[in-house]
Amino acid sequence: MTRKTTRWLTALGSAIAATALLAGCVSTSGEAQQAKSGPDASGPLILQSRFTDAEKGGLDKLVKDFNAKGEGQVKVNTIPTTTFNQQLPSYLTAKNPPDVYTWYAGQATRDFADQNLLLDLSSVWKDHGSDFPSSLKSLSQDSSGKQVFVPTGYYWWGVYYFKSDFQKLGITPPKTWDEFLADAAKIKGQGVTPFTAGLSDNAWLASAWFDYLDLRINGADFHLKLLSGKEKYDSPQVRKVMAAFKQVLPYFDPAVLGTTQNQAMSDFSQGKVAMYLLGAWAQPSVPADKQSDLGFFQFPTIDPSVPVAEEGPTDGFIASVKTDKPNLTKKFLDYVASPQAQTDLAASQQGTYLPANSKASLNLDALSKQGKDMLQSAKQVTQFYNRDAGDAQQTPADTALTSFIAHPENLDQILKDWDAASAKIRATS
Amino acid sequence: MFALVLVPFLVEAVGVFWPAFQGISLSFLHWNGIGPATPVGVKNYVDLFSDPIFLTALKNTAIWIVLFGGISFAAGLGVALLFQSERRGVGIYRTALFLPIVFSLVVTALIWGAFFQPNGVLNNVLDAVGLHSWTHVWLGDSSTALYAVIVAALWREIGYVMVLFIAGLKALDPAVQEAARVDGATAWQRFWHVTMPQLRSVNLVVLSVLIIDSLRSFDIVWAMTRGGPYHSTELLSTYMFSTAFGSHALGYASAIAVVIFVLAIAVIVSYLVRALSEEKEA
Repeated sequence: MTRKTTRWLTALGSAIAATALLAGCVSTSGEAQQAKSGPDASGPLILQSRFTDAEKGGLDKLVKDFNAKGEGQVKVNTIPTTTFNQQLPSYLTAKNPPDVYTWYAGQATRDFADQNLLLDLSSVWKDHGSDFPSSLKSLSQDSSGKQVFVPTGYYWWGVYYFKSDFQKLGITPPKTWDEFLADAAKIKGQGVTPFTAGLSDNAWLASAWFDYLDLRINGADFHLKLLSGKEKYDSPQVRKVMAAFKQVLPYFDPAVLGTTQNQAMSDFSQGKVAMYLLGAWAQPSVPADKQSDLGFFQFPTIDPSVPVAEEGPTDGFIASVKTDKPNLTKKFLDYVASPQAQTDLAASQQGTYLPANSKASLNLDALSKQGKDMLQSAKQVTQFYNRDAGDAQQTPADTALTSFIAHPENLDQILKDWDAASAKIRATS
Repeated sequence: MFALVLVPFLVEAVGVFWPAFQGISLSFLHWNGIGPATPVGVKNYVDLFSDPIFLTALKNTAIWIVLFGGISFAAGLGVALLFQSERRGVGIYRTALFLPIVFSLVVTALIWGAFFQPNGVLNNVLDAVGLHSWTHVWLGDSSTALYAVIVAALWREIGYVMVLFIAGLKALDPAVQEAARVDGATAWQRFWHVTMPQLRSVNLVVLSVLIIDSLRSFDIVWAMTRGGPYHSTELLSTYMFSTAFGSHALGYASAIAVVIFVLAIAVIVSYLVRALSEEKEA
């Protein structure tokens, strides 16, 4: 080794040692933030949106109508959904963050609110709270019970099928678990795959099965305790869920782990697969000429003594506590909560979205009406795995569920790993 | 003279050194990006070695360097030797091999994703030639997914390595080859004892490029499998990304980043030191 490189390596080593001492110098402290009081700063309000081009028609109309009122200007900044979801913590902790954001209700919002990053929106709730279903109130609160979220709408999940395919296969939508399994066997017997899912690029879709099985077997109370870390994944209750999951595994497409969501939707639309557990957001990806043939049924009952719970993921808006235009922000969100704005937002979502404001007037198509009735008749409404557990918990859930699908015989190890990974994220993040 | 160095140094310092230092100091913390961070000393590093996913990622990265790096080197050199001489139509072959470079890695991933689909090209061809039992859910099976992704990455890298080697081979003096031929050296002797020693500086570049490319491989894995199914194709880079931006464990992710950094530096420095001292002796 030459002298020059030795010296260089020594320098590198001491640099690394020096940095170790620097630990903590990064701005990682969560200093308390106070909302600005007094008059607003000038300039437009920035609305950071994750809506795709297909969805943003309603948002554009809403913003245009608000701007026309002359109370202030709002500018929409559209970011691709995945980037938006990953970057939201950086936006909110930035020195001069955008003012208003599209986001999800429940734990996803609470995570930020409890770090004192969100603006108190109780005043918006005072004006419009009575128009929202009471279940949305707790979903819009931080841990201390303060409203920090304005809901705009929600949607439903169901087991989707094509009516004509079910007719050909001689199937009527099942109500109970036994009927469900019998139907799956009957469908498989006719050479059609009963279930699929696009797990190769959307592994989180497996959590829909886990959520529903847990809701039907153990109920929503246990489910939410499990997801918030108060129950364990290697508990007897979760084992019962996995045992039920194992009963349906033989009816899944054997290539389910290598199937993309696009492929799964096209298999489903072409009748190669009979049923698909999906959220309403997937409806527009069914070809136009098959839309009227599309139907869904409620996830079947497993234990009749368990109160029926449904997934009704709720979307809405949050605002940064650091906004320098708190008055305009509240005025804008007041408008967002109004029946007119919520009608506009839902109208552009092709019948896959129910407005949160009960006074919003929207002509519901048959599927939306069925979804609304299903959610209203449910005793409890949950959000979805990542929204109830916190987004960081999705990865260990994906790992556990996809490896269970490939190797159900490794159940013990899988549940143990899931529990450990979930606890670790709770401890380290 | 000093001022001339100062300007690029300052740019480097703000753009490279400072973020790097921050990354290293983050690795001694628990931090979710929004709340207050807690210092945990070396716990993140200790935890790494009892984390089965990290160990899988480390093993996969080693497999990746050996297979991706090794095959790219050997195949790149092979096709470069084959296509170095100017014959009619050789340009078509060179272009064909170089073409994959012009696609972005994400596009490459889409093409190969379609190829490896359960009902994609590969399985259809296997079916057609009566090898149904060989068909596989290539990207969805933990025993084949990593190798399927390596094939896609190789498809792109070989053409690149070939170009580097062709450039190196063109610079060699043909008289040396001729002299060896006249002296009765066989083709293998001419390659091993005449061509290879002259290519030493090119080899150095190619190896450095391959190791750096291996360690920073991310996009093709992310686009094809996202590290799945159940972490079986996870590389250090993809695991770092999903830990940081999926699990919001920024301290732990920084510890993984530091491991990648140390690996890259160690490999490159040791190689450079050896190569430079050899050069001095020669």
